[in-house]
Amino acid sequence: LSPALRRDALLGACAGLLGGLVVGLAVLAQGSMATMVGPVALSSSGLALAAHLIISATVGAGYGVIFRYEPQSYATGLSSGLLYGLLWWIVWPLTLLPLLMGRGPTWSLVEASADFPSLIGYLFYGGISGLGFHVLVALYLRYAPPARTGPAAGPPSPAIPIRRVLILGGGFAGVGAAQRLEQLLPGDRTLECTLVSQSNYLLFTPMLSEVASSALEAQHISTPVRAVVPRTRFRRAEVEAIDLSGRAVRVRSGPTAPPETLGYDHLVLALGAIPHFHDLSGVEAHSFTLKSLEDAMRLRNHVIAMLEQADVETDPEQRLGQLTFVVAGGGFAGTETIAELFDLVHNVRRYYPNVRRDDLRFVLIHSRDRILPELSAGLAAYALRNLQLRGIEFVLGARVSGATPQAVLLGPDREIATRTFVWTAGNQPNPSLRTLPCERNRAGAVIAETTLRLKGFENVWAIGDCAEIPDPYNEGRPYPPTAQHALREGKVAAENIAAVLAGKPPQPLRFRTIGLLAVLGQRTAVAEIWGHQFSGLLAWLMWRTIYLSKLPGLEKKVRVWLDWTIDLVFPRDIVLTANPAPPSPPPAAAGPVVEEARPRATLAPEAERAS
Amino acid sequence: MNGAELLRRGILPGALAGLLGGALIGVALLRVGALPPLARLVGADAWGADFVAHLFAAAVLGAAFGILMWQQRPDAGETLFWGLTYGALWWFLGPLTLLPLLLTGRLGWEVRAAQDAFPSLPGYFLYGGITALVFVILRRHRSDAIGGISAGVLWRGVGAGLLGGCLLGIMLEAQGQLMVFSAMLGSVSRLQAWLITLLVGLLAGLGFALLYPRPRDGAGAGLVRGMIYGFLWWVAGALTLAPLLSGAGLSWSLDAARSGFASLPGYLLFGAATAVFYQWLNLLARLLFVDIAATPDEEGVGAEGLRALGRGAVGGLVGGALFTFVMVQIGFLTTVASLIRATAPLAGFVVHMVIAFIIGASYGLLFRRQSYDVGSALGWGVSYGLFWWILGPMTLMPLLLGATPVWSVAVATALLPSLVGHVAYGAGVGVTFYLLEARHSPWWIPRTEAEAARVARRKEQVLTSAPALWTLVVVVALTFPILLGNP
Repeated sequence: LSPALRRDALLGACAGLLGGLVVGLAVLAQGSMATMVGPVALSSSGLALAAHLIISATVGAGYGVIFRYEPQSYATGLSSGLLYGLLWWIVWPLTLLPLLMGRGPTWSLVEASADFPSLIGYLFYGGISGLGFHVLVALYLRYAPPARTGPAAGPPSPAIPIRRVLILGGGFAGVGAAQRLEQLLPGDRTLECTLVSQSNYLLFTPMLSEVASSALEAQHISTPVRAVVPRTRFRRAEVEAIDLSGRAVRVRSGPTAPPETLGYDHLVLALGAIPHFHDLSGVEAHSFTLKSLEDAMRLRNHVIAMLEQADVETDPEQRLGQLTFVVAGGGFAGTETIAELFDLVHNVRRYYPNVRRDDLRFVLIHSRDRILPELSAGLAAYALRNLQLRGIEFVLGARVSGATPQAVLLGPDREIATRTFVWTAGNQPNPSLRTLPCERNRAGAVIAETTLRLKGFENVWAIGDCAEIPDPYNEGRPYPPTAQHALREGKVAAENIAAVLAGKPPQPLRFRTIGLLAVLGQRTAVAEIWGHQFSGLLAWLMWRTIYLSKLPGLEKKVRVWLDWTIDLVFPRDIVLTANPAPPSPPPAAAGPVVEEARPRATLAPEAERAS
Repeated sequence: MNGAELLRRGILPGALAGLLGGALIGVALLRVGALPPLARLVGADAWGADFVAHLFAAAVLGAAFGILMWQQRPDAGETLFWGLTYGALWWFLGPLTLLPLLLTGRLGWEVRAAQDAFPSLPGYFLYGGITALVFVILRRHRSDAIGGISAGVLWRGVGAGLLGGCLLGIMLEAQGQLMVFSAMLGSVSRLQAWLITLLVGLLAGLGFALLYPRPRDGAGAGLVRGMIYGFLWWVAGALTLAPLLSGAGLSWSLDAARSGFASLPGYLLFGAATAVFYQWLNLLARLLFVDIAATPDEEGVGAEGLRALGRGAVGGLVGGALFTFVMVQIGFLTTVASLIRATAPLAGFVVHMVIAFIIGASYGLLFRRQSYDVGSALGWGVSYGLFWWILGPMTLMPLLLGATPVWSVAVATALLPSLVGHVAYGAGVGVTFYLLEARHSPWWIPRTEAEAARVARRKEQVLTSAPALWTLVVVVALTFPILLGNP
């Protein structure tokens, strides 16, 4: 109970007492106290008056709590008091009293007319209480020692941060944690929550492949972090160093900006993961990844550019590479990407008269013998069959050994000629965690306890794809790195931080995977929800409904829904929004090779046409 | 508080305004024979002593009003509604309480006594209004600008008034009351009656525009304000001016009010519609013409509106559950069920909840960002609930059941239990909506200095005559059926 609320309740009771006394005495003078008091047939009028006064004080305290004190608002106090009194007339003599008497309220004209005197009584009682309350509080504020008046006495003052929570990472885990903290401690002005992230938006990764396939607008699947967590301080910056013993994090907002140090009382590590290329030669330089909006846009532009080139290409070998699309990795991301690329290319094929259906080749390379290993075997088989029927090739049980600008290498003697190679076959935790003095697993993820606390640290929490968190439902094996887990982890981390701040013990994360869904292109999907399996159109509708509901931000939901609706009835867009760029930003050594390879290939048809 | 300033801009203009209001109303009360026998209090019995005493009391009350209004916003619209409430309060305090107490030693709180004092009720009400308006004029500094009245404002008022007038004409015609206005001109044709009704609408719209040139609150607040505005038009127009001009003489009697009651819901809905139309036109004008740089803290109607719809709908379900208690008590569920030609109470419950859901959503849309604490949430919610008591069971329900709505005292009193249900519903909707709104985006909790300033600004916007409106709506809704209903 805040001091101001206690003050308002107490003085409200005093004002109620005053109002009750005035009205009570007036009524008593008429000798009809019964209707004011209640069901108890009180023998003496003194007793009745006492009961009436107790009720008055209680109801008056309610006025103080509900309407609260506002400086300089006597007219408001009087008026709201009148309203309060009238509402109590409805509640007490008209409703509760008949109920307590056991005859049930009828609210009829007869009853209301009989209670009309008490209506006026309640009206005056409320008016006196309301006005009296404001006068009393004003007097109290004037004469009471300032220390006792409490912080909320005057107009609200800006926050004074005392406890700082620093969240590193603006993905589902980090934003989820910030969101939950905002909900848990909405009015806490002693808490300052800061979120540091490289990108200023929360990317809805499940829809990323649809951006790559031109079905959705890039901005529509990403929400500004500032909009999602309006009361968290946001910093767009790169984390340079984390000092766990000194409780400080060094960040830098740009390559030329000076480094800044942010202190914290609680640190949340939610830095996520980045693609991992297992040091395969040429893969990093010549493959597209699908981790950010930029990646998706680059891939989309590249695919359309390939079609543009192939339409005028005369060299059959070049054409083969241009019209072959290869994805490595048969998980959710890989499967959805190949299906979406297939949809995109076939959807816009009619713009390119020289590209025939048979020229196109879509290949998915997967190291195991079945795709979608997270799903049950039946669903995975369904997905495989479905995609194969549509014309997608699968190379199962094979590993990519390298890549060149023109081909993907599968072992020493096998290669697939392609100019579009998407890599989804490996992720690694954010490398900036490698320097932390804490336990890590082989991949480099920091190891957290079931309460999400970093092992060995009281005030550091690790969540999301960069952390390994044991799942108590699954014999202590780590939770999988998915969005639904990251969200839940963020939530629980925030709850635990709030608990620790309140001096309570943190609770372990217990979460059963709700379901897994993978979309297989046009109106087909597979889904496994609470052990039930769905496939086909129904699963596709479920995919869209569930993911649309999970997309953060109402506005973005509307936009994506519109995009989807438009996509149903209009062709996909083939506008090139940027010059086709090399797959990944080239590392210094590999740079020139790529730069050379691209312009030559793009220019060749042009030269021919000119001749 | 500066004493001299209070005297100069609070007490003195208040007393003067009270004097003027008292003189006007005193004459009227003399004519209807309801002038309070104040002189008897001091033992005077001479002719005119009552009137002088009345003037003196009116001046004192006006001065008190000036003190109360000292801190309030000085706009005409805001002060008018405070004045109306103030006048109504003094009807309860004066002729029902103090006067009989001092004269006879008894309180006049019985229905019968209140009915006897009824002729002075419109007087007190109008006294409050006149005092408020005169007070606004008297207290204004010469340097004060005339609150942003422009041609655009007047055009909006005309547009809203004509729309409202159309609605009023339709409603009055359905009640056979279309000729009410034209009665003063003798017998006229239907077309002329319609034209006169439209003219009334136009005047009402213009009046509203002048009172509220640039309302900064939402359509919901406008709706409640419009209801009271409509009530004022009923008292000033149908009860006062129309009989005066038609030569029938002023009659503020209980019987006149009973027969005029048939047009009261029409006026209330008309006022509400005019105000909402006006606010919407205003909103449209703001949307089209106000520089976006001036409204940095608005997210846009789409996002805010959709969110408010959802929250309001949840609030509607809570309010509907509260209302169900009343419905079960009075066995109203079967009547609701008849809306879908069913008879089972369960069907009635489902229909009722669907309606509660939809109206709750509309509450969210109209009243988003209007409440800043539980009290104001209660105020708006209950006012909106009472609005739906008039629009719902009194108007739409008979229409949907294929009958013509009858706005008679008998119908209103028969619907008293439903009124209580609507109050409960409104309270549920308002408070739930506020709690949801507060939970999600507590815009009044400041983070920085800039935000603190923004919060203060918004709070100032919300602290208008809203409390007076809530109180007046509830007072009128509760007392009128009881006063007029008892034979």
